Amino acid sequence: MILKENIDNKMHAPKQKNGKLEKIYWISILIVFGIGIYSIITGYFMEGMESTNLSNIVPWGGWIAFYIYFIGLSAGSFLLSTLVYGFGMEKFEKIGRSALLSAIVCMITGILFVFLDIGRPDHVMNSVIYWNVTSTMSWEIHFYIVYLVLLIVELYFSMRNDLIVVAKNDNFKGKLSRFLTFNKKEYTDIDKVKDKKRLKIMGIIGIPLAILGVHGGTGSIFAVLKAQPYLNSALFPLIFIISALVSGTALSIAIYVIKCKVKKQQVDTSMIRSLGSMLSLFIVIEIIMVWYEFLVGFYGLEHEELGTLQLIMGSPYSWSFWIFQMGFALFFPLVILIIKKTRESINWILGASVMVLIGVVGVRFNMVIPTLIMPKIDGMPYGNYYMNLSEWLTSFGIIAMCLILYTIGEKLFPIDEIDSHENGVSKHE
Amino acid sequence: MAFNSNNHLQPEDYSKLADHFVPDSNKVLAASPYDSQLGKNMARDARKVINGSLKIEDFHKVYSASLIKEFGDQYASGPMDTNQNSKAKSGTDPKWGMVIDLKKCIGCDTCTVSCKAENRTPPGVSYNVVLETIKGDFPNFSITNLPKPCMQCDNPPCVQVCPTRATYKMENGIVTIDNDRCIGCRYCMVACPYGSRSYDFGTSYEQEMAGFNDVTSPEYGVERGKRKKGAIPEETVRKCSFCYHRLQRGEEPACVETCIGDARYFGDMNDPNSVVSKLAASPRAFRLKEELGTKPRVVYLR
Repeated sequence: MILKENIDNKMHAPKQKNGKLEKIYWISILIVFGIGIYSIITGYFMEGMESTNLSNIVPWGGWIAFYIYFIGLSAGSFLLSTLVYGFGMEKFEKIGRSALLSAIVCMITGILFVFLDIGRPDHVMNSVIYWNVTSTMSWEIHFYIVYLVLLIVELYFSMRNDLIVVAKNDNFKGKLSRFLTFNKKEYTDIDKVKDKKRLKIMGIIGIPLAILGVHGGTGSIFAVLKAQPYLNSALFPLIFIISALVSGTALSIAIYVIKCKVKKQQVDTSMIRSLGSMLSLFIVIEIIMVWYEFLVGFYGLEHEELGTLQLIMGSPYSWSFWIFQMGFALFFPLVILIIKKTRESINWILGASVMVLIGVVGVRFNMVIPTLIMPKIDGMPYGNYYMNLSEWLTSFGIIAMCLILYTIGEKLFPIDEIDSHENGVSKHE
Repeated sequence: MAFNSNNHLQPEDYSKLADHFVPDSNKVLAASPYDSQLGKNMARDARKVINGSLKIEDFHKVYSASLIKEFGDQYASGPMDTNQNSKAKSGTDPKWGMVIDLKKCIGCDTCTVSCKAENRTPPGVSYNVVLETIKGDFPNFSITNLPKPCMQCDNPPCVQVCPTRATYKMENGIVTIDNDRCIGCRYCMVACPYGSRSYDFGTSYEQEMAGFNDVTSPEYGVERGKRKKGAIPEETVRKCSFCYHRLQRGEEPACVETCIGDARYFGDMNDPNSVVSKLAASPRAFRLKEELGTKPRVVYLR
């Protein structure tokens, strides 16, 4: 991940200086993507689920963990964008569109991960046709579709004014923008007011959709399972939502700061600092929730739940809990964001965000796998699951696809607001 | 006679066998107080009913008048009655249940093997397993063998969560999977508190057992032909169906039939007089994870 961020970093470099770096970025990411595609074809399409390390004891694995990770990133960055478009906090306007774009891209990535985890892709439309109203997963599939459409429409309206500006150019970007704006020539004040209202409505509709529908709902997929006492708690969907906010905020910080650094623009220090303090607030809430989740779990004295907690905290798998979940996702970033010296430094905040982005992967893995490893009935065997090479290659391929989509989105559409961009450049000069 | 010959016996041969069973059948029948010709005709048409060329309703229609004439009050049901009966019966169709006596189970795994043979499940898929647990320390310890098929819960968590309604509860109490609809998301496997569901990873015994792929079990009464890469039960979720295809032809599930200690009982839980209903009411009876509210249809006797 860090590597990718660095490459991402390089990619946005100004052309005259860093054209070579951009080439390296594209080549390396296309290689990873190509290997991923190869492994999807030889593994998923040729062998099916047999290509994974999944078994009847651990039927869900790394792909499901990555799926909820990306859904979380999407919901988190969308909620952040609603601060701008729903509640009119113009302080954060600079990250609004990129947060929306990353929400769309992460959503597509997440859906792709869960699609790969489905055994019969030829039957997949059944989940839309035959809607089981008591199934949280069925609701999720429908919510994802609505949410994705809403995100795309919202992104479109948020950048319509700049699309019209770009449409005056005579290159491919201009043609695309002309097509997207239906040859609209001028962006009047009435349009501006209208779009602002539209964005506000969509942002407000989007909040319950993202919280209850997309991410709380994804949490409910796991929380309703009474067969898994570790997951079966009302707090679980809330932990899902709050860790979505943590990872989404971290993603927005990371994208913005890296982009500014590569383009050699002025970083909006006060915005990043307030995003950093928001991140620390979310982390504190998450720590409180996780604490109570474990506390109540321990006092429940339920054999399976205690066994799961032991698997998480004191087993050969526990490195992922102590290093990733506790260390990278909660403790280290919190310390960085609390100490006065580091919480004001952009680089430290960036470091904390990247740490969170890595750590939350561990959080997601710990949500899915340990509870499945724990046998459900005395006498049944313990599961054993590590992602195998094919699963990792496929995952990296899809993550590479996520970066490719984001980069293409940044290249084709005016994700940075044109005015602020120009201001930045002139300031720099 | 022809028992040991390689030629297969035809139905006529059986008739011939029966013809020679008594020296003169007509003489024997004539000794009976009832009409012999009616009996012979009924026997002939009963064969037609069995081989499907005559409907049971028509059979009753044809014979009910003569039967009433012949047997009077002793004859209980005419054709009208049978119609009403069949309607009344549909309200009290059997609801299958299983009782497993843990004291009788010796942990021989015959049920597991016969289930595998009957349902021809691929490697890694076992609808029935026997869990062996040892409790206590020597000399005070006990070994429990817990045979574990699908519990066919009345409140099945797997049915709650299936996104496509591919798995559902049938009226006869069996939780079934429509493999043609299943998308293979394995949510039901995660939701099942008993670990009774398995995913068909598409593996096969073909390498160690030639011809394994040639025959598949007609699960839920659906003939699927040879097991092929990408053909239906593969890459979907599978589970114990109480051998529904065997129930359809009036046989007990394979595990019940083969149990060497007669530890398994199978029958209609709707019928208060059935063995299973009586055993399920025993004070020894318990169900797995009763506290979850899933209401399993498999009852254990401790």
